[in-house]
Amino acid sequence: MRRHFDHEDSTGIDLAPMLDFVLNLLIFFIITAVFVKEVGLDVTRHGGAVGGQASGKETGSISVVIRENGEIVVDERIVDVRAVRANVERLHAQKPDWGVMVTTEQEAETGLLVQVIDQVHQGGVDNVSFGTSSR
Amino acid sequence: MLDFVLNLLIFFIITTSFVREPGISVNRQEAETASARESGNILIALRANDEIWMDRRQVDLREVRPLVERLHVERPEDTVIVIADKAAKTGLLAQVMDEVSLGGIEEIAIGAMTPGGE
Repeated sequence: MRRHFDHEDSTGIDLAPMLDFVLNLLIFFIITAVFVKEVGLDVTRHGGAVGGQASGKETGSISVVIRENGEIVVDERIVDVRAVRANVERLHAQKPDWGVMVTTEQEAETGLLVQVIDQVHQGGVDNVSFGTSSR
Repeated sequence: MLDFVLNLLIFFIITTSFVREPGISVNRQEAETASARESGNILIALRANDEIWMDRRQVDLREVRPLVERLHVERPEDTVIVIADKAAKTGLLAQVMDEVSLGGIEEIAIGAMTPGGE
């Protein structure tokens, strides 16, 4: 009889409080995990300090220039932000293997850069590189 | 069931605790084609007044490279998202991206937000 009681004591650990605690931790981490989903746009950098490795093969690229006063130049013409997509689509149809090179002046605003890259992506070109020009 | 819950717990601890948040919020540009970055765990924020924030503190441009190098050694599969304010200068953005790629991480994305969403 005594032996039987000892046996029950050693196996009968109450797991309920520990389970509650673990479940609380689990819920906490699930809630915090939801908020760390970052969204972004892929770009490669060209003409920077790590030179010459951005472009693997020698192909041309469609040039988009953003000036510091907010003007956007595609194919040597000043265009509106909303017209970038149509222009890129047209040039992409002519040269399907070309990527897009976005060159900005130092003082140009990042908001405009993101808008332009977004438009280029919508125009069907995913290979976007970014560089700055000094003048 | 207990095993399962513990496994879930460990999974969430691992996935959450390694995101390097910049510590400030910036005013981002909306972009239709912005996509969620699964492995974008090192966040660098640029404010409109040329401040760089990383790992919950303000850093100098010259500090970015050693910080990125250290984080890259700790977790080599991490990628960088540079979250720049709408009004931040692209010159600074380019410099930061250069420092990051010198620090050994080639995959860099520019942070944006989906229209109407987060």
